[in-house]
Order: sequence, then C-alpha cells, then structure tokens
Amino acid sequence: MSGTAGYLGAMASISAEDVPALYEGAKFYSPAVGDAGRSSVTSWLAGLLERNGPVPLMRVESVAPDTQCVAVCVLGSGSAMADLPPAGDEFVLAVRQIERLQKVRFGAVYPLAAATISALVPVVTAAQLGVPLLDADGMGRTFALIHHTAMHLAGVSPTPLVAVGPTGESVLVEVLSGPRADRMLRANVDTVGGWAALAAYPVDAGTLRRAALPGTMSRITNVGRVLLETTDPEALVTRLGAITGCRRVARGRIAELEHLSRQNDVTIPAHPSSLVVEETGGLGRQLRIELRSEIVAVFADGALIAGAPDLMCLLDVSRGALATLDSLEPGDLIDVLVTPADAVWYSPEGMEMVGLASHGIPLEHPRRR
Amino acid sequence: MSAPTIGVSLRPERAYAAVVHGATAVPVEPVAPARNDADGVIAAAVAEARRAAPQGADAVTVDIAPVLLDALLRPDSEIPPVAVVRVVPRAATDPVLAQSPAAAVERRVAGRWTVGGGHDLLGNELRPLDRPGLARIAAELAATGIRHVAVVAAGSQARPAHEREVADAIQAAVPGARISVASDYGGQGLTAREATVVLDCALTPLAERLLDRCERTLARLPGDVRLRVARGDGGYSTPSRIRVTPVMAFGATDALELCGAAHLAGLDDCRVLLDRDGSPAAGEVRHRLAVVRLAEQPQLGTELVVPTAALTPEPPGSRGGDVPVIRAPHDQRLLACVGAAIARPASWLDEVAFIESADELERVRRDAEERATAMVMANGAAPGTTHIAEISTVAVPYSPSGTVRIRVRVAGAPDDTPAGR
Repeated sequence: MSGTAGYLGAMASISAEDVPALYEGAKFYSPAVGDAGRSSVTSWLAGLLERNGPVPLMRVESVAPDTQCVAVCVLGSGSAMADLPPAGDEFVLAVRQIERLQKVRFGAVYPLAAATISALVPVVTAAQLGVPLLDADGMGRTFALIHHTAMHLAGVSPTPLVAVGPTGESVLVEVLSGPRADRMLRANVDTVGGWAALAAYPVDAGTLRRAALPGTMSRITNVGRVLLETTDPEALVTRLGAITGCRRVARGRIAELEHLSRQNDVTIPAHPSSLVVEETGGLGRQLRIELRSEIVAVFADGALIAGAPDLMCLLDVSRGALATLDSLEPGDLIDVLVTPADAVWYSPEGMEMVGLASHGIPLEHPRRR
Repeated sequence: MSAPTIGVSLRPERAYAAVVHGATAVPVEPVAPARNDADGVIAAAVAEARRAAPQGADAVTVDIAPVLLDALLRPDSEIPPVAVVRVVPRAATDPVLAQSPAAAVERRVAGRWTVGGGHDLLGNELRPLDRPGLARIAAELAATGIRHVAVVAAGSQARPAHEREVADAIQAAVPGARISVASDYGGQGLTAREATVVLDCALTPLAERLLDRCERTLARLPGDVRLRVARGDGGYSTPSRIRVTPVMAFGATDALELCGAAHLAGLDDCRVLLDRDGSPAAGEVRHRLAVVRLAEQPQLGTELVVPTAALTPEPPGSRGGDVPVIRAPHDQRLLACVGAAIARPASWLDEVAFIESADELERVRRDAEERATAMVMANGAAPGTTHIAEISTVAVPYSPSGTVRIRVRVAGAPDDTPAGR
C-alpha cells in the first residue's frame, strides 16, 4: 500500500513506540493547541507504557456488555496544561471518585474526545488503572462543550462527573440535564488552574456499542503515522485523503488575524477571531477563516465553502506540518484542509448542537445545499 | 558605503570569520603563524576589514552557539551542576513528570526541589507560597554546595511574585549563587521554561569566558571595534546582556546561515536549503529576517522559550510556493559568518493577556510593542530605527473568552554613536 505506508488499520494495543504517531494524529483532529507541552506529555505517557507495558486497545463489541466504562479527557486549555503540567495522579483520582460514588469498578476507559491531548490521557489512565482502552470516543474530533458527544445524542448522561485540577482539588457534578454540566464546570476549571482531568459518562459497554463512535483511536494513530512519514505537503494531503477523506480547499498566505470579529457567546471558550488568507495561485481568492477554539467556517470571496461540523485544519506548507491555532503568524503559507466529520454530526440533532448556527453563523451548510 | 562588518563563528574545533562590505563577503583565513582560534581569527578579520575600507570595521558579531551546544552535549565539559526549584501547587507523583524530558538538560541537574505555590496563566494565585517549605529547601540547597540555581514558578510570566521570593530566599541562604528565574524570559510551558533557565545557569561561566576573551582580543587591536553577540533568532544583542542571559545565544547558527545565504543571493525573501548531516533541511527568510519559531530543539529533545530557526527536512522536489528557493553552498561556516556580520539588533516577546474589548486589545498590543521596542534598544538598536517585524495575537483555544497570546518581534538598526557603545 504505497500511498499509506504507515497505515496499520485497527490496532490491538498501544505501546511506547506508538506515542509520537498518536500525538500527531490527535493534533490533526484538533489543531487548537501548539507543542508547548508536547515533550512533557509524550514522555510521561511513553514512560508509563514502558514501565507498565502496552495498553490493550479493544473494540467496544469485543468487551462484555456489562463492563462498566468511563470517559476521560482534559477539560480546559492546553496552554494552561503546558504551563502547569499534571502531577500525574489527576485522572486516576477522578475515576476513583466516580467508582466510590457509584460503588462500581470500571473495567475499561474510553476517550471523551479522541483528539488533541485528550486522546493521550485516556491511554495514561488505562495504563495507570491496568484496564483496557476502548477504540471509540464521543466526538471523533473536538467540540467545545462536554455534552457535544454522540453519547449525549444517544441519551447517555455525562454525569456523575468529576474534575480534578492540577492543584489536587476536585469537583463532583450531578445535573438533571447534560448541557448544564459544562456551565457548572467552567468556572471551577478556571479556579483550579485553567485545566482539569475530567472523568465522565460512566456507562456500560453494551450501551456504548450504540452510543460511541467506533475505531477513532486506531484512526488517529494511523493519521499520525502518515504525518510523521513525510514533510512534503503534496504527499501528505494525498495520503491523508486516502484514510480520512480530507481535501485541500485552498493554499494561501496569512494576511491578518482579527479578534472579537463576531458576536461573542461567553458560554463557549475562546472568543471569536478570524484569519484572512490571500490565496496563492488558483483563483486568487481571499479566504476568511472563522475561529473559535477550533476552525468553525471557511469563506472564499464571501461564499461559505466549509463549516462545522466539518473538521478544518491548516497545514504549514513551509514545514510540512500541522499549523496549530495558537501559533499562527501573518506571512505563513498554509493549506486549508477540510475533512468530513462522523456522520452523526450531520443529522438534524447533530447540526443543531455543533453546526454553524451554534457559532452564530446562521447559514446553510455547504454539504446540505 | 557604510563601514565593513565582521561575523565570527566560534566552533569547538576552531573559529571562522568573514568580512562583509556592501554586497561583498570575504572569508578570513589567518596566515601562519597566526592561530585559527578566536583571538587569531578576530585579529585577522579586523586587519582584513582595514584593507577593505580605511576606517576599518565598526563591530564584530560573534556566534558562540556551536561552542555552547558542544559543551552542553559533551559529558566531560566543565559545565557547573545546576539545582532546579519548581514552584507549583503539588509535586509530581510520576518520576517522568518530576524531571526534564530532555536527557541533555537533565544531565546538568544535580538536585531538584518543589515548593508549594504558583499562579495560573493570567496571574491568579493557585496556592499560597509554602514559606516554611521554602526555608527548609533553601537550607538544604545551601548544604549541597551547588551555586547555580534555576527557579521556575507556574504562572510567573504573569505574576512573578512567588518566583522572586524563592530566588531572594535562596540568594540569602547561598550568598554568591547564580540564580536564573523563568519570568525573565516569558514564554509558555513549564518544561520549556525550566529547560531555558537550566541552560541559562549552566552556560553562564562558559559564555562569560568566551565573551571576556573576545573583548580582550578586540581591546588589543587598533581602532574601536565593538563586540556583539548573535541571538537564537538571528539578531544580535550586547555582550553585557548575553552574560546575564546566555541562553539567548543558543541555537543562533541556523538563523545566521539562512540570513547569510539570502544576503549572498541578494534576496530579502526566500526559502533556503541547508545541508544537515548530508540531507537537505529548509528554512525561510522574510524581510531579511530568518523565520523563527518556538520549536523542539532536535539536539536537546525539548522546547525552549527562546525562538530559533526551526529547520525542516526537505523531501525531494523543492517547495516554497511563491518564494525563490536557494540551495546554499557547501561552506555553511561562511554563511554563518556572513549572517552574523549582517545581523541586526532584535527582540522577541511572547505573553498571554486578557482582553474584553477591541480597544483593550489595541492597548495590550501597543504596550507589548513598546516593551519589545525598549528591549531592542537595550540590545543595541539606535533610537528611531526600530520597527515591528512581526506581531501576532491569537485567541488561546479552550481558554476563557478574551484570553490572547501576543508575540512581537522587533528589529532595528545598529546604534553606531558613541552613546550606543
């Protein structure tokens, strides 16, 4: 398979050797945060996997239906986590609190969002607890709020949930309605240092078979292998397209970064900002890329050409590497890549929750025209 | 035509130099019995500059990065042991998180301590400073005999109070200690900030010896030739600044080679292919400045908070899109010397701020620009010559609405007046 030499398909375990690919692939599915904490987190995870051995990666269908499972992720800012790294026990402490509350023992861990650092910490947690990791997650990328999950759409409650901060302080949240959990958590997360280890969505594996998005951990590792293979942007786009369905919609130089460029909804982290890109070659269009914590829409000469829930990311052409949103500079030459999200997000319920209108852009999605 | 300038690249095995006068760059080779160490090469370069123009050279810009890196990576080098004091709410529970992920950094660390305390990215206190714990640690540290101490506190970029109190307590307990604090550098990421101050401490004696030697050499030579020191971003600073922040000189060679190649090609904007261990590696020059980033240093295995030219392996088939591509000639030591000779004073600032309106964003940006401009003048720029080379403000993803990261790069023209000496 010459086009995707690093492609391995579904994986059975995650070992220390997989960590670099896991990290790069996780960045593709959420290009929000740069590499300020990369060496710290990847060394931590690789060290755990070397000491404790590889973590088994299991399809949800291969786990007994009555196995109790819990999702983990990083809640808050990757920049805050880079500046205040984990002590190391936060995720296990969060899981154990739910176990004590529910009087259960979790038999498996799964990612709430298999993207960014949140794709690595479930591996950390599984290695520390000595349980398998499920090859499934709740988002297939990253969305802003913790109820933006396939589990929530399937009627699974995110609570009881526990957030443990780097200060060692913790918050237990129990709510009647999933969307209220995020609002209750945000202020606490800011108080404990800007990020927290979250354990949530305690549920049995039988329910997850219909509620979670399958194969997403294997997918990001395979994407990461491709990203590590070459720095040639042409080869990268072709090979990524073969396993993710992504396509390049434009190449151009960043001309301007604008802030507070749209109406601000303070319930969503990070204020709206925009990127103006002058297309080099092609039609010479002017692109306007609307940002929140992720890229939410791409306009070309005023026409919407991609939008949430599509996964949109930027490739730094000069370096042949992903450009993260916190490291963009005017003058950078970038490729704008658009990847379809998991199908559940294009359903009416999914679009209502995470589509363009949820970001204050009340336009019809290009895939629906 | 302005006076010639001299660029010197100090390598572990010998020194190299070039004299740049306008578009002309002349490599300098000492004639036996003159030596090819720093003294001999600088003397030969100053003489060569006098041949190029009667008034001789104004300045020598020296790249000390190769010697610093060699000393850092060589286990038997005479680098002092460093003590690290972290100020965070809780000590690490995992051994890997308790240390630097970079072996080259950790090898220089002779002892580590954690003091309870720290702030978040916006300067909010997360835990009061553990003063009884600090007193115990200061006493322990004094008993070790270690005299180089790196202090890094969570959130000290925004509020350095805990970091300064720790530094003061250690200074009192260990008179004469050389203490480096992370808040002097700004930036993001505890690991990168800690590695930066560890290197800063470790490299101080070596940087002082190198710069003392260069200054003594210049003092013996005719004329009034000042010494400048190349920075990691390809700009330069004064010897006095580099003596207290030697890590700023780390990793300068890549940026100098990029700028040297662009200068020799007569291009302001280009992509440059350099040879790295027999394979091509690419970097860019924009507006005559090397494109720099905060990237992992391949030879170190960790990030620092001082920017350098991050080179990328170049696959077959050139890229660069809309800019010309230069394949640099084989003698990259000459390119580094040319890059040093044409370097300009520069500064860089990277910090996080909180804004609630467009007006406030404008105020925050202006404030950052003014401070970066003051820094570039401290690095040797003439008043009125400075310009904002790059500025970017990006919203920090998944942070409270209004949190922005600001990066400013300022460059200027050399201050050649007597006041600037």
